[in-house]
Amino acid sequence: MPEELGGGPLFDASEKEMAAPVPADLGLGPSEQSDFELMQAIQAGEADALSQLYDRYSGILKALILRVIHNDAEADDLLQEIFMEIWSQAKNFRAQKGKPLGWMVTLARRRAIDGLRKKQAYARAGERLQLETEQQPDAWIQNITEEQISGGDTRDIVRKVINSLPPAQQQAIELAFFQGMSQREIAAATATPLGTVKTRLELGLKKIYEGLKELQHEL
Amino acid sequence: MSFEEFQNRSRLYVIGALEPEELEEFEQARKEFGQKGEDFIGECYSLHEAFALSLQPAKSSTALKDRLMKMVREKQQP
Repeated sequence: MPEELGGGPLFDASEKEMAAPVPADLGLGPSEQSDFELMQAIQAGEADALSQLYDRYSGILKALILRVIHNDAEADDLLQEIFMEIWSQAKNFRAQKGKPLGWMVTLARRRAIDGLRKKQAYARAGERLQLETEQQPDAWIQNITEEQISGGDTRDIVRKVINSLPPAQQQAIELAFFQGMSQREIAAATATPLGTVKTRLELGLKKIYEGLKELQHEL
Repeated sequence: MSFEEFQNRSRLYVIGALEPEELEEFEQARKEFGQKGEDFIGECYSLHEAFALSLQPAKSSTALKDRLMKMVREKQQP
C-alpha cells in the first residue's frame, strides 16, 4: 500500500506548527505535554512519554483497529505491537510531514489492514461489510445522531463533516480507508460501476478535506 | 495532469485507493509538481487523523498497558 510513514531527521521542535486540516487537539491541560513534545521525549528514549501517549491515544487507535478487524482480543494484540512500533520507530517521525497522531494512525491502519490480510479474513470481512452496508447504508456513522453532534469537541466536529456526505460517498470511503479495499474491490462489493466508485471517493474525500480546513479556520 | 487532478489523486493516494495504472501516472505527476506536490500530499495525511477521530474510542485493559511498558523498559536495559 503506497503510504508514507516518514523517515529522516529527528524531530525539530521549530517545525511543529504545521498547517493541517484537522481542527483541534484533544484539549490538553496547561501542565500536559503536547504530542510533539511527547514524540521528542520518546525519541530521546523516555518510556514515560510513551506511557502518556498511550493514555492519550490508545482508545482512538484501538477503535481504528477494531473498525478493521472486528475482534477485541486481536485488536489488543495489534495495539500492543503498534505501540512497540511507535517506540522503536519514533526516530523516523518527521514533524514537517504532519502531526504525531496522523503518523500513528497511518501506522496503525497499515498494521491492521496487513493483519486482516494475513489472516485471510479479507473475503469474509468483505461479505460481512456488504451485508452491513445493504442493511445500513450509513453504517459508518450509524450510532451518531444530530443530538450528539454538538459543537466544541473535535470528534463531534469531524463527525459532522463526515456526516454531511451522501451515504454512498461515506460507504466508499469506509471501504477504502477502514478495509483497505481498492476501487475495483469496492465496485465489486457494492455492485457499482468503477467510474462511479472513483467519483464517490474523489468527491467525498475532497469534501471532508475542505470541510476540515474550513472548520480549522473558524476555530 | 492538472494540479486539481493531482489533488484529487493525492487524496486517494494517501488512503491507498489508487489503482495501479493511476499510481504510475500519479508518481510521474508527483515528480513534475515537485515540492508543491509533496506539500499537498503531506496535508492529505491529515485525513487519516480525521477518520480516526471520528470513531468512538475503545477501551483496552490496564494489563495490556502494563505488559507494553514492561516490554519497553526491558528493551531499554543494556
